[in-house]
Amino acid sequence: MVRAIPLGLRAAGVIFVALTALFLLAPLIVVVGVSVSESQFIAFPPDGLSLRWYQQVLSSDAYLGAGWISLQIAVLVTVMATLIGGSAAIAIHRRQLPFSELLATLFLSPLVLPTIIYAIGMLMFWSAAFGPVTPAVLALSHTVVALPYVVRTTLAVLSESDPYLEQAARTMGANRLQRLWFVVVPQCLPGLAAGAFFAFNISFDEAVLSLFLRGPTLTTLPVQIYGQLEFSPDPSVAAVSTIMIALTVALIAIIDRMLGLTKFASS
Amino acid sequence: MNDRTENLLLALPGVLLLALAFFMPIAQMLALSFSGPEGLTLQPFARFLSDSYYLGILWRTVRLSLLITAICAAIGFPLAYIMTKVGPRLRLWLVVMVILPLMTSVVVRTFGWMVLLSRSGLVPELLRDWGFVGRNFALMQTETAIVIGMVQVLLPFMTLSILGVLTRMDGRLEEAARTMGCSFLQTIRTVVLPLALPGIVAGSLLCFTLSASSFVTPNLLGGTRIQVLAASIYRSVTATPDWPFAAAQAVILFAGILLVLIPYIKLTGSKHG
Repeated sequence: MVRAIPLGLRAAGVIFVALTALFLLAPLIVVVGVSVSESQFIAFPPDGLSLRWYQQVLSSDAYLGAGWISLQIAVLVTVMATLIGGSAAIAIHRRQLPFSELLATLFLSPLVLPTIIYAIGMLMFWSAAFGPVTPAVLALSHTVVALPYVVRTTLAVLSESDPYLEQAARTMGANRLQRLWFVVVPQCLPGLAAGAFFAFNISFDEAVLSLFLRGPTLTTLPVQIYGQLEFSPDPSVAAVSTIMIALTVALIAIIDRMLGLTKFASS
Repeated sequence: MNDRTENLLLALPGVLLLALAFFMPIAQMLALSFSGPEGLTLQPFARFLSDSYYLGILWRTVRLSLLITAICAAIGFPLAYIMTKVGPRLRLWLVVMVILPLMTSVVVRTFGWMVLLSRSGLVPELLRDWGFVGRNFALMQTETAIVIGMVQVLLPFMTLSILGVLTRMDGRLEEAARTMGCSFLQTIRTVVLPLALPGIVAGSLLCFTLSASSFVTPNLLGGTRIQVLAASIYRSVTATPDWPFAAAQAVILFAGILLVLIPYIKLTGSKHG
């Protein structure tokens, strides 16, 4: 440990962290505050306390419909991204394919390209070649964006795994499928789990792709909120947003329980 | 089946997905940006680059992105450094403080800023009460609002990039500098900062790219009057369906980002993108 950091600097550090925390969390606190307000108008600090806006949200077809679509797409994306990304990561990790370096770059490339550029490309390509965008197409595009995260987390876990376990299993007579299922996949599990959480979160909160690839019957929750904000924000938007924040808090708590948040964050 | 076939089979679904749903759409968009009614044309590009309105949008995008990136680095470096120095319990809370906003939808966070920065919102009201600004002061629909909102959206990326590098730093290097007579601030400047540089570079690239290409926050906080390139692209797609022009703007955006990315990556030889 480094000793004797000047007292003034320590105090400055504490104040700095407190101010940064306030800055980072302020929008979330405000949204939660507005959602429990009694007032007709968006008010922070809230006037009075009431859950009427939650009641309104839970009886609103627009919000419930959008939420249901978001949830379905997010689950589909989580399954697809974890399966496809996980198996690709295993193949890349083994480095037996002649072009595995290229393959690794290929799978990480959606990270580098700004989502808005991909969104336009997808919209133009799909509507020109196949017609209107369906929920499945939206899920496909979310999967492309989530894929690099799964590949990365799985590769990170695999790089710390014991390379001889698979050989051992082979000498013991395990066939290909058995080796994959009983030896390799269990080693990948923490990475697959982290990737799956990322994928769900990315899909559920994704606004850009969903805004470009929306249709009359294809509105996800973030798109619904965006539309409300552009035209007529009222406290019910805050109630929906608070529900989304609560979901994020739950997700973070699960990640911390399963994987350890500190390790997860600095990896 | 041999090993190679097995690995090919494992990678195949992903390769197919990326080919069909990623590379083909991008290629299509590239082609569209160069295509006019009579074949190959540069007309959409010429239109953008000869119009002072669009050049203004481009300049604003670059200027704001650089400013946002610089502010993120200025806050993110000390924050990440402090995170490596505190005890495990406090560190967990600081990580939550960074991750929670990161994982919350950008739309939701922007909504929070809309409430805070609006005419009767908390921030302008406090500034007025404390006498910092006059009665007619407004924050919404200004570039300042965009910067405030975007820094909050992107700060977690910067902090985590730097944190990743700093947690791998050998703490004894700092002690060595201290025993050799460096003051605390000298140690930061001559030891910690250079070692954190790869993280700062990676975080800056991420912040710049994300900042230049985001439109949800700039659109909602800046309004239609203060447009950035990404918002202009969105408008070209939704309001006035002009796909070749939208595609051309996207190509210009990406070319601009590459122009910043490539020298940066060359300079540092870093593999992080």
